Amino acid sequence: MSVSGFEGFEKRLELHFSGDDPIRNIGMGLRLLEFESLDKVLHAVQCTVVSAVGNHYFDAYVLSESSLFVYPTKIIIKTCGTTQLLKSIRPLLSYANRMGFYPDGCKYTRGSFIFPHSQPFPHTSFKEEVLYIESSLPTSLAYRKASIMPSKISTSHSWHVFTASNHDIHHQCHDPLPSLRYSPLSSSASYTIEICMTELDEAVAQKFFRQPEDGKSGHSAGREMTKMTGIQAINQNAVICDFAFDPCGYSMNGMDDDKYSTIHVTPEEGYSYASFECVVSMNDDRDDDDVVELLKKAVQVFRPGTLSLAISCTGGFHHDVWPRIVSGVKPLGLKCMSCTMDDFPAAGTVLFQTFSSRRNRAGWPGGQEGGR
Amino acid sequence: MAEEGQVISCHTVEAWEEQLQKGNESKKLMVIDFTASWCGPCRFIAPFLSELAKKLPHVTFLKVDVDELKSVAADWAVEAMPTFMFVKEGNIVDKVVGAKKDELQQTVTKHMAAA
Repeated sequence: MSVSGFEGFEKRLELHFSGDDPIRNIGMGLRLLEFESLDKVLHAVQCTVVSAVGNHYFDAYVLSESSLFVYPTKIIIKTCGTTQLLKSIRPLLSYANRMGFYPDGCKYTRGSFIFPHSQPFPHTSFKEEVLYIESSLPTSLAYRKASIMPSKISTSHSWHVFTASNHDIHHQCHDPLPSLRYSPLSSSASYTIEICMTELDEAVAQKFFRQPEDGKSGHSAGREMTKMTGIQAINQNAVICDFAFDPCGYSMNGMDDDKYSTIHVTPEEGYSYASFECVVSMNDDRDDDDVVELLKKAVQVFRPGTLSLAISCTGGFHHDVWPRIVSGVKPLGLKCMSCTMDDFPAAGTVLFQTFSSRRNRAGWPGGQEGGR
Repeated sequence: MAEEGQVISCHTVEAWEEQLQKGNESKKLMVIDFTASWCGPCRFIAPFLSELAKKLPHVTFLKVDVDELKSVAADWAVEAMPTFMFVKEGNIVDKVVGAKKDELQQTVTKHMAAA
């Protein structure tokens, strides 16, 4: 176990906005923010733009430490390492304000740091993070909740969630039923899936190291990694912006109509990590199939020892979605170690599960490498 | 009018076709930037593209706004912005999708070197 190494686990911030004038057409909203302003925000967080692409729905930026997505009324920033992500809140709110936009929801999530002592203030503890975010948000976001969703894997792989909204949980759901958990799914809704994987299979991790003196740009080396590792095959419809860091590490953003996806890999042994995040449209019958399919693809590519899955959905889940995920991934050699669900202002319901692969579990017969 | 060293914007289909024709006849490498005014990544790379155009006067740089010239963007199957198309003597020789400075530079260098 390393004393210290690159922190793969990301901090993720999502801010939702509404326009101050109900009559004015939002149009491209926050996408019209000048690049100089965005650059200043990223500078505060200590990261830079590596590559970027946009379509009719949103802009996607690959950063030196993860990703940024800008929609007309929503911004998502995800950063790893020792970046001070929360320092982006004040400047973002200020620039949005100047354009006539006000925040109506905020969500901050992260897993458990592999090297918590290497994190700078305010990321020294969840408590400090929450205090910092609270002091950066306007009082109009009056409904707030902070919680650490547990895993059963000692202190690792817990899911830290803080959300704030300008309206109460029970008024945000389109469905009038009192219990969010059992409300029928709305066909226009979607959910966000965040998968965090550690202890990557070594043969897989090696694929994310650059060949020395290959003469390629980070973009073309990244494209090769996308193809060679099977990441390309996860969604053939997506326009991908990928990048391979020197000497190792990989990032990609995918665009498929209005849905983003993003993968980040820290391949070094001892603290290897990969994250896979995407948005899935709700489909009445097949939601858990989609989730299971995505999990299967992530596991096939990365073959992790441990995996956590956080799904967040404003419309609520089918009451049996989580056991169906558990049985769906069993053939992959994944055993569910914990499962918990909770409701949050702005974010809706968050389902959090952790899984351990066959090769990681003591006493599992066979004890072979990899989750094949 | 000295258009060398600048990114030439095409605002009409006629202007576009004229530029394409000119480029094909001159046998120069043409780099076409398909862009949108509301696309952040396009604004990110614009200064870099201008610098490249200044440094490489023997390469023709054109800019097409996908809203202004919808039919052209559709004809060239542009799905994401910015998309850079590389054209030489009437043929598409390469394409870069996304604002990627190193890749853009390397691709221009690769194609302008060929006789």
